[in-house]
Amino acid sequence: MNGGIQGAFRALADPTRREILIKLSEREMTIAEVAENFAITRGAVKKHLTILEEGRLISVHTHGRERINRLEADALRPVSDWLSYFDRFWGSRMLDLKSAVEKHERNSDE
Amino acid sequence: MSNAEIIKTIFLAASRETVWDFLTRSEKLAEWFHPAERDLAEGEDYALMGQTDDGAPARLCWGTVVEMDKPSKMVWTFTIRPLDGAMTTVTWLLDDVADGTRLTLHHTGFTDIAAPFELMRALDSGWDKHLSDLRAADAL
Repeated sequence: MNGGIQGAFRALADPTRREILIKLSEREMTIAEVAENFAITRGAVKKHLTILEEGRLISVHTHGRERINRLEADALRPVSDWLSYFDRFWGSRMLDLKSAVEKHERNSDE
Repeated sequence: MSNAEIIKTIFLAASRETVWDFLTRSEKLAEWFHPAERDLAEGEDYALMGQTDDGAPARLCWGTVVEMDKPSKMVWTFTIRPLDGAMTTVTWLLDDVADGTRLTLHHTGFTDIAAPFELMRALDSGWDKHLSDLRAADAL
């Protein structure tokens, strides 16, 4: 699987992280501002933001001493397009299957 | 999305029985997909195993083998880890053709994949803006 889209899927698999994205769609926020919306520790929020950043669904900008989190909505586009995702997924799997089956056949002929 | 489906067909220079083994036996699945916990059996759950980002063993794809009609048809429910348990349906069809096997994959049932769509709805205004920007860029 493509590393980029896999990271985005991982980030989206958690309901708290999806809620964070919705909050960030309203405006950019610091970690403290994000944390105000959730009944979890600031450390836990920070971990979620790191995973979102790794999935490239948000970007982090330094403004003075603050770290500002911004939604990168463009990164959601390939994730929302399930058909093209699975189309590529099966395309590459089935090519691998063809190679494996035909290698097996060649070996059994010898 | 309810009518959405993926259909893929490949021709394999091997008998249907050989192709069937590659779809159902753990060590053969490992050669092109991921190793299964055990050989697949009708009515039983299956899981194809890999590793998480931290290197811990984890199920990557899993579901139930709903139907097995050796060596011509198999139906799975199917999900992958990032889908958070939402199930889709995968059907494998094997047909005899001259010199080999025609293998067809049908992947359907994308209606349960709700999470990203909820998110899309919530982000809808952002998308409208993005799309209008895109149209404006196209018009240039």
